Amino acid sequence: MKWVDAVIQGLLLGGLYAQYAIGMSLMFGVMRIVNIAHGDLVVLLALIGISLAAVFGLGPGYIILILVPIGALIGWILQRGILNWAVGEDPLPSLIATFGLSLALQNFMLTVWQADTRSLDAGPLVVQSVDLWSIRVGVLPLVICGVALFLTWALHMVLKTTKFGRGLRAAAADKDAATLCGVDTKAIYAQATAIAVAVLGIAAVFQAARTTVAPSDGGAQLIYAFEAVIIGGMGSIWGAFVGGLILGVAQVVGSRIDPGWGILIGHLVFLLVLAWRPQGLLSRH
Amino acid sequence: MNSSPLLAARALSAGYGDFQALFSVDFDVFAGEVVALIGANGAGKSTMLKSFVGLVPIRAGTVTFDGRDISKMPAHALASQGLALVPEGRRLFRGMTVEDNLRVAADRARRLPAGVPAWTLERLYDLFPILGERRGQAVEKLSGGQQQMVAIGRALITQPKLLLCDEISLGLAPRVIGEIYAMLPVIQQSGTAILLVEQDVTLASRSSNRICCLLEGRIVLSGRSSEISREAIAKAYFGVGHEVG
Repeated sequence: MKWVDAVIQGLLLGGLYAQYAIGMSLMFGVMRIVNIAHGDLVVLLALIGISLAAVFGLGPGYIILILVPIGALIGWILQRGILNWAVGEDPLPSLIATFGLSLALQNFMLTVWQADTRSLDAGPLVVQSVDLWSIRVGVLPLVICGVALFLTWALHMVLKTTKFGRGLRAAAADKDAATLCGVDTKAIYAQATAIAVAVLGIAAVFQAARTTVAPSDGGAQLIYAFEAVIIGGMGSIWGAFVGGLILGVAQVVGSRIDPGWGILIGHLVFLLVLAWRPQGLLSRH
Repeated sequence: MNSSPLLAARALSAGYGDFQALFSVDFDVFAGEVVALIGANGAGKSTMLKSFVGLVPIRAGTVTFDGRDISKMPAHALASQGLALVPEGRRLFRGMTVEDNLRVAADRARRLPAGVPAWTLERLYDLFPILGERRGQAVEKLSGGQQQMVAIGRALITQPKLLLCDEISLGLAPRVIGEIYAMLPVIQQSGTAILLVEQDVTLASRSSNRICCLLEGRIVLSGRSSEISREAIAKAYFGVGHEVG
């Protein structure tokens, strides 16, 4: 029972990683951009949310409603202002651009919010739990995982059935051919990054409600998102979801073996997948 | 064909990086005609098509299409102007179905005036029945000829006034080439002009109203396909000084 419990808790933790990972996977899949500032954007949005909650006394639901459009706007500006100039065949310019952005964001956040750790008060939701077959499951992790599943499905449907989704997949498969079909790839890129960062607006609230955030936390969040994307298969949306869950299970099971091993086991599972199936579990290629 | 040309290039120069491929070219395509562009490898045929659709930057000169200067328009805006290219090597969207490949283009197609028959998925499936049968399959599962049909269909469904075809016979079996070239008169009769780049000179002259020959980035021969002699073509193709064998 101890291990069943560990796996379930791991799946629920993985829901948060999945929320980080789907946006990263989307950006990589379409533009071959590995966004090094991904984790810092989560932290930035979380800190904005925490400040909004403190100033206006808003609950986490309202904070999500505010952070999603803010995230979309940040993503759109980021792509139009910086990344559209760096994107191309060579992955290095965008890597350097997002690395620089990561440093700039961390210092910006240190200036505005100082180095304190902060958290978002989500009320009784944080401590509530339900019994599932005599395993206690927290309501908040369950909500996080449910939201991650919904977001993954919704994004999958958008990519599969809408004009935007077809244009985006076409731009990902062959940029020039997509241009010939009338697809404005730069606009599609801006929309994709807007979606990726908008999703982080949701993840940021859950992260801040579940635990604490500080301006320098972005790096760890980036690593989890990156590992989830690699495990699942770069560019695959469902892969990012599954990768997030696997990483969560590995960390929780690892920490039950020894409390100090959780993160390490997560990294080891990531390295194992990289060695055994470098294209990722759900990748077609 | 005494009206103004559908596409007109004037003193067009274009190239990649340090390499200039086209030198001050003047070139016209009129509504409803089929023009074949021939020339040796590296003569600048593909570059010319790509410069029309904005995939290769224009260094000097202008390109007007249907009365508008398109030389500074963004490439993605040209499809909705009525200019479509079937790119060399087909360049389909891998991982997407036949129908989704076509719909990417249909989503952003030129809006037609009322009463003008449009290219629809149904009409394309009538023209190429095999595509209708395989509409739900990923394009990489199709044979080379079927993929070429998707590439042509994808260009047609943008409702072009002018269809540019870059070596659509490349790498295909002769029977399949015949099937694909048999579609060109159908496309022409629907009112779409066609500009072909073709390596096979016999095929090019048989399927076109007019032939232009490029040599080292300059047009060296132009005339009605039925009137140009093979000797004249051979001389233009290889340049002056080569013996015609």
